[in-house]
Amino acid sequence: MAIPDTSHYCLLTTAYSLTMLENFSFRTIVEYLPLFGQGLVTTVWLSLLSFAGALAVGIVLAAMNLQRGWLFRVPAKAYIDAVRATPLLAQLYFLYFGLPRLGIILPELVVGILALSLNSGAYVAEIIRAGILSIPRGQVEAGVASGMTYVQRMRLVILPQAFKVTIPPLLGQAIVLVKDSALLSLIAVAELTRAGQLLASDRFMPAEGFVTIAAFYLLLYYGLKGLAALSGRWLGLAGART
Amino acid sequence: MTSNRSKNGAGMIEFRGVNKWFGALNVLKDITLSVEPREVVVVCGPSGSGKSTLIRCINGLETIRDGDLVVDGQRLGDPATNMTRLRTEIGFVFQSFNLYPHKTALENVTLAPIHVRKIPRAEAEKAGRELLAKVGLADKVNAYPAQLSGGQQQRVAIARCLGMRPKIMLFDEPTSALDPEMISEVLDVMVAVAEEGMTMMVVTHEMGFARKVAQRVVFMDAGAIVESGTPEEFFSHPKTDRSRAFLSKILRH
Ligand SMILES: Nc1ncnc2c1ncn2[C@@H]1O[C@H](COP(=O)(O)OP(=O)(O)OP(=O)(O)O)[C@@H](O)[C@H]1O
Ligand SMILES: [Mg+2]
Repeated sequence: MAIPDTSHYCLLTTAYSLTMLENFSFRTIVEYLPLFGQGLVTTVWLSLLSFAGALAVGIVLAAMNLQRGWLFRVPAKAYIDAVRATPLLAQLYFLYFGLPRLGIILPELVVGILALSLNSGAYVAEIIRAGILSIPRGQVEAGVASGMTYVQRMRLVILPQAFKVTIPPLLGQAIVLVKDSALLSLIAVAELTRAGQLLASDRFMPAEGFVTIAAFYLLLYYGLKGLAALSGRWLGLAGART
Repeated sequence: MTSNRSKNGAGMIEFRGVNKWFGALNVLKDITLSVEPREVVVVCGPSGSGKSTLIRCINGLETIRDGDLVVDGQRLGDPATNMTRLRTEIGFVFQSFNLYPHKTALENVTLAPIHVRKIPRAEAEKAGRELLAKVGLADKVNAYPAQLSGGQQQRVAIARCLGMRPKIMLFDEPTSALDPEMISEVLDVMVAVAEEGMTMMVVTHEMGFARKVAQRVVFMDAGAIVESGTPEEFFSHPKTDRSRAFLSKILRH
């Protein structure tokens, strides 16, 4: 009995998608292209800013987390856990609705960039920490034995080596951040997803709207992946030296 | 800093009743040992006897719990002792070389002189090239560690220490990670350094090296110095059962 039902559904959905494709309005997409273009540009630069923020947050958190004493380490760990354990959407709303209550009124875009920086920063912190910890103990000892201070060791020995190992996972995190930035559409930031939503709601064309933004995200994804591959090749060359 | 000088401070390195624990393990037991300037002391003993720990205490890679350790007239753990400064006077050669993989041979040698000793780059590089030539690596100045054999890497590591113009050189089994055919090239460099009058403590089981340049061999077992004497005395007439057992083992190889 279940079998005819299923085939029935299959037929229905196939028919539905066929009509969808038939009615798929490329013209509307072209018409909305300037809007998508603006959304894309916004997504790109807000992601760049957020990633810069994430790097800053991540470096500070990683440095705190690498301290021996608990005074800095414990708050850093607690923050990282809190961010990783809760949904980004919850964090975004927490800032969006929470900050005004504290009397801090910020434009949506700023709240969005702040949320992405604070969120992504926790992941970046772990990437940086893992990169630093991946450097063999003997490197630290060689620096210590030659009379380098902690700062000199970090700057001359540890960070240049950790940098190489962290580039690929950092680019991975950048890809995640670009996709996460879609959530900012929910607080009315005019980024790429928002453009898709507008097309969907103004013209009742969700397929057109969301297929188009998917295509743009794919474009960004390949851009970043290409960058990762390039850096990988560069690091691969440098890696032969290690 | 006369107050900071040891009272009977003739020794370049002076252990007086030094004890160290790793948790419940008493790794160094009441160590008393004095190394004179220009003296070469070879430290040997079975695995886990505390040889590495002993020499790592000298430049503060390990800290001692009690007793006195005075290096170049400065007491370790004394607030008046600037440990980073003192370390610039002490070269340390590791078993696993620990060269900086992202730096060329020359950069490995000049990094600390430039940034720690604050020697002008050009001058440091000139000295670095000379040192690399001295250890037989004039043609490897721009090579990265991964492009060098183990023996070559260890020679760069020795040059890296010499670049700081240290008063003391410590070696922790510098040849035991090397293929047999590379051991002598490293030992030859060490002999040359010893013959220039460097104060050296060398953890090694290379008896040929000990006989050639060491004034003294110190035998450790289970964290204590069990025996100490000239290489001739130690290798030909070991006094204790433990040193005899140890020697028969390393001689069999
Ligand atoms: N960081 C550490 N924490 C705890 N125990 C340690 C540590 N380092 C060394 N030990 C222990 O201390 C003892 C002495 O170690 P050490 O490395 O000084 O011996 P060694 O004589 O150099 O041995 P080997 O010939 O194997 O290098 C060993 O029992 C070792 O397991
Ligand atoms: Mg050892």
